[in-house]
Amino acid sequence: MRRALLLSAVILTALILQTTVFSEVNLLGAKPELMYLLTICFAILEGPSSGAITGFAGGMAQDFLLDAPKGITALTLTLLGYATGMARQYIVTPSPVLPVLLVGGGTFAGVVFYGIVSFLLGELSIGWLYLFRVALLSGLYNAILTPLVFPLLRRAAEGSRSRRVARW
Amino acid sequence: MALRSRARSTRVLVVALVSISLVTITVDYREGTDGPLASLGDGALAVVSPLQEAVSKVTHPIGNFFSTLFRLPSIRRDRDVLRQRVDTLETQLAEGRADQARLAELEALIGVQESLGIRIETTGAQVIANGVSNFEWTITIDKGSSDGIHESMPVVASAGLVGHVVNVGTSSSVVQLIIDPDSSVAGRLDVSRQTGLLSGEGPADLQMSLVEPTVEVAPDEHVVTAGYRIAGVAESLYPPNVLIGTVSRVLDEDSATEKFLTVRPAVDFSSLSLVLVVLSRDTRG
Repeated sequence: MRRALLLSAVILTALILQTTVFSEVNLLGAKPELMYLLTICFAILEGPSSGAITGFAGGMAQDFLLDAPKGITALTLTLLGYATGMARQYIVTPSPVLPVLLVGGGTFAGVVFYGIVSFLLGELSIGWLYLFRVALLSGLYNAILTPLVFPLLRRAAEGSRSRRVARW
Repeated sequence: MALRSRARSTRVLVVALVSISLVTITVDYREGTDGPLASLGDGALAVVSPLQEAVSKVTHPIGNFFSTLFRLPSIRRDRDVLRQRVDTLETQLAEGRADQARLAELEALIGVQESLGIRIETTGAQVIANGVSNFEWTITIDKGSSDGIHESMPVVASAGLVGHVVNVGTSSSVVQLIIDPDSSVAGRLDVSRQTGLLSGEGPADLQMSLVEPTVEVAPDEHVVTAGYRIAGVAESLYPPNVLIGTVSRVLDEDSATEKFLTVRPAVDFSSLSLVLVVLSRDTRG
């Protein structure tokens, strides 16, 4: 229950920040994609199933504010959360740079995947070169934001975790 | 054992969530803008927009400060260019005195025409948020269906044409900008009175196509909306003679059938804060 509340609060905050503060941070034609960042962070912290749920909920929330066919972001982020969570289980390094790399690479892959799905639905009205540029830049911006966001989310996630379940 | 069953339940969960997403995409794609999902989206917009409004009131000045910092070099350049413009314009102003009397005469004529026929009703609106995604160029305004806004109503700012309403909530609506790649506007060159089609190119200047190849185009020539009306058949989305922008470049592509131009929008979309929505217009007369 506390988890659900936390998740909704975090997603709503991210959505509002994305549309207000970060819509003005438009450098070189792209802006950070907070929902991607959030999904990957939760997947790293909580594993593949939490990653998938966060991605799905956040993606749906964002989709309903877009004028595009709803569900594309949800699909992208569900898969992204699951994939990142799975990948995280096979990487044992305790390096603090890992989240930054995962967020950068994951955001790039996610934005490209979103572009491909939109293209298949005939909704992509921009060129491939532009798509790759946006994917690269938003990956970079998200990676830069990770050291700020990741510790915050870790503290929030640990605070809401039920005490009875053993940590793995 | 427990680990394996957890891995399996995770897989089931992911498959379920992916299926729901796919179903949502399909349903929404088939229903278009009138389906229940689209109205759910409008509902979400109605819930989120007051929050957006509150947050953007606080953060807009901060964001402005930072974007000004980033744009400082280009602002400097603009200042130099503007100083030169002031010089040339001051000379022109002196020459323009004689034309002024003639202009006043013409304006009086237009005023008469307006009072006779074209009545345009507008409502002011505040911009409360910019587009959510990297791939669409939209703004959200604080007027919705309760203020009489409907889909495809034209939106203008003091500088010129902004776009049209694509999505209406009860107290807010989404406006597609003319620079959105999905947007196209019929435009008319101010001097030669030739028409063409302007389509959005995202962050780049608008592209104007379907212009007669023989037309002489002056640099910095103004482009206004064309506005047409075929009684009972079709009517242009935008009212005629609203400034769209100025010609920035004539592309020399070898085409015998049409000429391509790029047009710099008159409106600075990054700093829009007040716009006018055209509620109704009476083109009879």
